[in-house]
This record gives sequence, structure tokens and C-alpha cells, in this order.
Amino acid sequence: MNLNRNEIKTALHAKVVELAQALDMDASEVTDDDILPATGLLDSNAILELVVWFEAAYDFPISQEEINIDNLGSINAMADFLLSRKG
Amino acid sequence: MASPQTVPCVNINDEFVQIVSLNVKQGDFVKNGDVVGTVETDKSLIDVAVEQDGYVLRIDCAPEQKARVGSVMFWLGAAADEPVPEVISTDAEARNAAGRPTAKARAMLKELNLDPARIPASGERLTAADIEDWLARTGKTGPAAALPSPSTRTEDSPTVSGELLELSAEAAGMLHTVTWHRDHAAAAYLELEYDPKPWEELAAHYATQQKLMLSPLLPLMAFRLAALARERTLINSTIVNARRFQYRPVNLGFTVQVGEMLYLTVVRETQDMDAGQFIAALGEVQRHAMAHKLPPQEASGATLSFSSMARWNVSRHIPILPPQTSLIVAHAAPKTSGKAVLGATYDHRVLTGFDVTQVLLALSRPLIPGMTGTYHPESTY
Repeated sequence: MNLNRNEIKTALHAKVVELAQALDMDASEVTDDDILPATGLLDSNAILELVVWFEAAYDFPISQEEINIDNLGSINAMADFLLSRKG
Repeated sequence: MASPQTVPCVNINDEFVQIVSLNVKQGDFVKNGDVVGTVETDKSLIDVAVEQDGYVLRIDCAPEQKARVGSVMFWLGAAADEPVPEVISTDAEARNAAGRPTAKARAMLKELNLDPARIPASGERLTAADIEDWLARTGKTGPAAALPSPSTRTEDSPTVSGELLELSAEAAGMLHTVTWHRDHAAAAYLELEYDPKPWEELAAHYATQQKLMLSPLLPLMAFRLAALARERTLINSTIVNARRFQYRPVNLGFTVQVGEMLYLTVVRETQDMDAGQFIAALGEVQRHAMAHKLPPQEASGATLSFSSMARWNVSRHIPILPPQTSLIVAHAAPKTSGKAVLGATYDHRVLTGFDVTQVLLALSRPLIPGMTGTYHPESTY
């Protein structure tokens, strides 16, 4: 798995769009700094699906306590969090 | 007294699982929590953990075998020489089932997705009557009583041309659940509308206070339901052989849709939890479901359930009762209506419409049991 920051963000963006699509929402214009829970594009279930996918895709466990806005609130935050752990 | 270790339920839609490995032998001593094997379905591979200390008295299954959820894997006892209750073992079944099924028996086996090797024949051939006897016997007295057998009613084939297709394991599991609902429960449904804003405000307040990233609205409502079961114990019980079975723990079932899979995840022993512990436990269980890695204890044993289809924007949702429960609450909140609905499918053998109405009214009022703080939800009324 490539840990290039831009590629991580591209993959995250694609997953957000896919999860939103399942809820009949268009997330194609979501930005890397948008706070995902505040966009209204993904509900709690979808955000949790995103977290579970993120763990599996990059093979790093995330504890329940680490699921917070600072670590996982936006695409940029998620990329930073991953790189801080594995970069 | 010997106790059975049964085949775990991987998810509510799987009536059968494949035994992948079993790493104990007769005479072994095992401890509660020891992982002794693995089982799998099309979607998941899970560990089998022992549920109590004891000696392995007899093993009733083998790797590569397809086994029905709830059937006996092996027997445990406090002493290595304890007697095992008289039930027909897999070996005995295999010997007795040596005869080929009759045509009618074959059709029934196919319809019910049963393994003929597990069913003893009374004569040279396995007959439909043998299958009906086996279903009745295991459904009433055997370890499979926890998961009653599907109905043996047969139907005429349609007059229009077509073909009979096998059910997937998930579809067979759903058939089992729906059949329990139809054949055992006296299912009824009622619902009430409520103003969702006070609950939403309380959840937002709680999320801010606890610095949560995900909305705790549905977990808090589910937790409130579990707390109500401590006060109104009837909703945490079921009917078994014309007597009421009162569950001791409050094991909260919570539906999680993952792609095309619907899991009834279970948070056990909620009576000992506060809101924070419950939300964390439910979050863990949801994540396991989303990874298709639910351990057996998180996929079985619900005594009371909560389901929401708010994310799909449906206005009404009438769920099927999970087997051997008397209440499942269904939450719906169409985004454009400004109203929300709490519905309940309930077993009228246990609960009256009045009982359920009282539960739904209580649940519609925002309250976090055990929480102290500055927010006073009652002031919003």
C-alpha cells in the first residue's frame, strides 16, 4: 500500500463519494478540509463504515477513543493521522 | 451435569455454518473464553470460544461439516467421566442415515436446506415422516430448541413452468426467523409519532459534552430502551412451552446494515453499563459487523431489540421479531416531515398494546439514565 499523501487523500475522497452515493447524496465536491460529520453527506453509520474501511485499507488499528474530530474529522485529518502512525 | 457447547450464530441470516477447525479432543480440559475452533459462512470467519470451564466429554461435529446454528458441537462437564445426555450423536445419525432419501424426503430436504446425514432414518430409506419427526424432536427437546425448526408445511408447485432454486444461507436464515415469527409469536404492531427535536438536542448536547465525533442519538435511544427493560421486565422476556421465560441479562439487539447484509448485533449485559460504556460497546460491535467479523457473543442472544431505518428516509418500518424475544422497537424519521415515528413489533402472548404504548411513550421522551448535568430535557415540553 502506497503511503503517498495525495494518493491517500484521493482514495479517501473516492470512498466518501461512494458511501454518500449509497445514501443518495452527491459528495463529489467535498473538500479535504470539510468536517465530514458536519457536511450532512454521511450519517454516523457511513462514517463508521469509512473508519472501518480506512483501518483495513491501510492495515492500522484504530481504537474507539481515537475516533474523534482531531484524528478523523476530515480527509486531511485522516491522512495526517495515518501518516503520523505509519509514515 | 453435562452442558452443550453449541454451534454459534454468525449472523441472523445464517442458519448453517461450516466447521473449519476444531482443536479439542475428548478428555481435554478447557477454560471459559478459550478459542477452540473456527466456523465460517460465505461472509465471515469467526472463532469459537468456550462458554464455560470443563472437560470435553464428547464431540458431535467434525471439520468440513456443515452444521446448523444451535446444534451441539461438543459436551462439557465438571468431571471427565460425567455422562452425556441421551441425544443422537452425529456418528449415530450418519449410520442411521445410510439409506437414501425418498423422493418426497429429497424435496423436503431441499426446501428446508437440511443435511440428510444429520437425520436418522427409521427404515431402509429416509422418509418425509423421518424428517418431520426429527424436526419436531430437535425443535422441542434438543439443543436446537433455541432455534426452532422451520415449518414442515409443504406447498404445491406453481402451475406455471419454472424451477426450484436453493436458498442461500442468508435467505435460509431469514426464512428461519420469519418462520419463528409466524409460527410461535402472536405478532402485533403499533406506532406513535413524536417530536424528534428534544431527543436530537439532548444527543447534540451529550456529543458536545463527551466530545464525540459520531451522533449518539440512536445509541442513546437504544440505551434508554435497555434501561426501560430494567423497570418493565416483561419486555425482556418470552414464552417457552406456555410459560414466561424472564431473561436475567438485558442483551440489546441493534440492527446494522452492511452492504446487502443485515446483522442483528448484540450488546450483552447492558444492565451493568452507563451511557458512555454502552455507546462505546455498541460502537465496537458495529465496527465488527462492518468488517464482517462479529464474534458469536455479539451476534446472538438478543433479549430485546432496536432498529432504525431513519437513514433510508422511510416513514414506516414493521420489523420481524427476532426469535425468542417479545419486542423490537423500530425507529423512523423521514427527513422532510419534521416528525419521527417509534413503532414496535411485539409478541401479544407476552405484552399488551397498553404495555407497548407505555414503553414507546417513555422512549419518546429524551432521557439518559444515570446522567447528571445541566441539560434538562423535560423543560423542552
